[in-house]
Amino acid sequence: MFLTRSEYDRGVSTFSPEGRLFQVEYSLEAIKLGSTAIGISTSQGVILGVEKRVTSSLLEASSIEKIIEIDHHIGCAMSGLTADARSMIDHARVSSLTHNLYYDEDIRVESLTQSVCDLALRFGEGAEGEKRLMSRPFGVALLIAGVDKHKGPQLYHAEPSGTFYRYDAKAIGSGSEGAQAELNNEYHKSLTLEEAELLALKILKQVMEEKLDCKNAQLASVTAEGGFQIYSEEKTDAIIKTLNEQATDEDTVIS
Amino acid sequence: MSDPFSINGGSAVAMVGKDCIAIASDLRLGNQSLGVSNNFEKIFGFGDKCFLGLTGLATDVLTLKETFRFKTNLYKLREERSIEPETLANLVSSTLYERRFGPYFVSPIVAGLGHKDNKPFICGFDSIGCIDFAKDFIVSGTASDQLYGMCESLYEPDLEPEQLFETISQALLNAVDRDALSGWGAVVYIVTKDKVVKRVLKTRQD
Amino acid sequence: MQTTVASEYSNEIHSVPIEHRFNPYSDNGGTVLGIAGEDFAVLAGDTRQVEGYSIQSRYEPKIFDVGDNIVMTANGFAADGVALIDKFRQQLKWYKFDNFGGKLEIKSAARYIQHLLYGKRFFPYYVSTLIAGLDEEGKGAVYSYDPVGSYEREQCRAGGAAASLIMPFLDNQVNFKNQFIPGTDGKEKKPLKYLTLEEVIELVRDAFSSATERHIYVGDGLEIKIVTKDGVRTEYYPLKRD
Repeated sequence: MFLTRSEYDRGVSTFSPEGRLFQVEYSLEAIKLGSTAIGISTSQGVILGVEKRVTSSLLEASSIEKIIEIDHHIGCAMSGLTADARSMIDHARVSSLTHNLYYDEDIRVESLTQSVCDLALRFGEGAEGEKRLMSRPFGVALLIAGVDKHKGPQLYHAEPSGTFYRYDAKAIGSGSEGAQAELNNEYHKSLTLEEAELLALKILKQVMEEKLDCKNAQLASVTAEGGFQIYSEEKTDAIIKTLNEQATDEDTVIS
Repeated sequence: MSDPFSINGGSAVAMVGKDCIAIASDLRLGNQSLGVSNNFEKIFGFGDKCFLGLTGLATDVLTLKETFRFKTNLYKLREERSIEPETLANLVSSTLYERRFGPYFVSPIVAGLGHKDNKPFICGFDSIGCIDFAKDFIVSGTASDQLYGMCESLYEPDLEPEQLFETISQALLNAVDRDALSGWGAVVYIVTKDKVVKRVLKTRQD
Repeated sequence: MQTTVASEYSNEIHSVPIEHRFNPYSDNGGTVLGIAGEDFAVLAGDTRQVEGYSIQSRYEPKIFDVGDNIVMTANGFAADGVALIDKFRQQLKWYKFDNFGGKLEIKSAARYIQHLLYGKRFFPYYVSTLIAGLDEEGKGAVYSYDPVGSYEREQCRAGGAAASLIMPFLDNQVNFKNQFIPGTDGKEKKPLKYLTLEEVIELVRDAFSSATERHIYVGDGLEIKIVTKDGVRTEYYPLKRD
């Protein structure tokens, strides 16, 4: 893609003559190397699903954290250089808690996303003399899922470029192309939360190299009633079972 | 809070009705924030239709009560009749002014009916005897601000004895409930031409 | 012949410097009052402003519509009151920018004002603050503060110079304190009920005319701001000017 190296590659906040910030664009590439993460927004709540790359049988799968709580009503899934997400999530948690302290209410999901994205461009000096916090752009993208009383369940995609968009359903990471295509086919407005759980796992199953199980995949939901919840292995297992049954059913129908 | 007027706490109020008067006080005696007694009456009778209320420093309240008992008894012996409220008012005034430069730390109020004509009379004093002749109501004590607010809004002229009782009770109770140094019970005297009714009120005990 | 005479002032030279001190606070009097109804809330204040024994103004309103169906007052030291309200108004704008134009709920406004006040914990705004509006369910709400931000939601509250005169009256007439059902020997309290707007306005007017009668810092005029779901409305009634 960028085969011609140029001096514009080096300064993180230097535009190329074509008006591009190469380092930011490269950071988007880093995300495509990450494991797949999917978010699906329904009227009942939002589902997050991630693939966990369990690279060794000796690796404790539960120590891979790719879905994280930001506040009781907001959670996020990540893909890319997950270590970079630490500071974003710290910032997000501080924003959410501070908002609650100052206003005695839950922060809006959109405001929270905005505040995370404000951090994304802090690899350069700020316009009002803020210190340069980072040497390079983030190498991670977030799917931020949340519920608030103003707009209900929402899903946002936050990129290292500092832009964010709201999605009905979004996939990021290495399997994102296939997964996004599948989401485009399968998504409809009247999807239930249960259907979204199944859809998220179904798509992960399709794009993952290993066989899907409760160790290498994780689900979480955000609903108005239950807030943010990461599914237990047992619960994930049960959904995988349902998924497999459905798959065999379809096979029988076809045959 | 070394103000002698508010060491012991306590409040009193008097009102004029139609051919009647009412005078009431709380029952608290305290030592600053510590409650000491819930049976410390601050209204004293001199003659059958004449009352004196004393709030302020408790030792002065007791001393003056005894002083006025002595003086009114002497008055009765000499005059062969009970003291009139107006006369008591002047006695209180002159007694207090005698101590012009070392005053008793009290805010007395006087209320009663004339013995012959049954004319309602109330008045209040500062600690050195300046008389405040009021036509409607008199307040005194640590809850005096609150009492002014209550009386000014609840009071109306020419109330019958029962209505007057209700008015003065509500005024006193709600006032002392907003004063930490007053409360712990209350007592009300309603004085009409042929009888005096004393009622001890059920109140909050905090 | 002596032509030059030594000044008398020479004896007045001080060996110790005279210490001057600036007092940053003053009391501008006035009294305020807030009552919450079922579907409305009112904030009322007199319009007199004083400094010492002189009346600076007979009409200086101190109840303000700060936006988002919230009315606010900060009574005591007028300069601090105005500064606090201005600061809150500015923050309300920021809230709109940060929250995509969303409405600031009264409970959020209440919490925010706590932080404005506590932010000056060691050089406080010398005011008693009240805000009034409707809560998320549309019920009337009044919040009251001490100068450093301790706050509480209440049915009613008086603040300022004549607060001690008005507050027991409100206890009695709004929360029916010390009122019992006749014949129950003081065992059954008079049940609480929401007052109508007409009843509330009458109570407010009575409270202020009583306070005006007895307090020199209160008088001249009474301005009431009424918050309903349809917005904020203002009423004015004259008070005694003596």
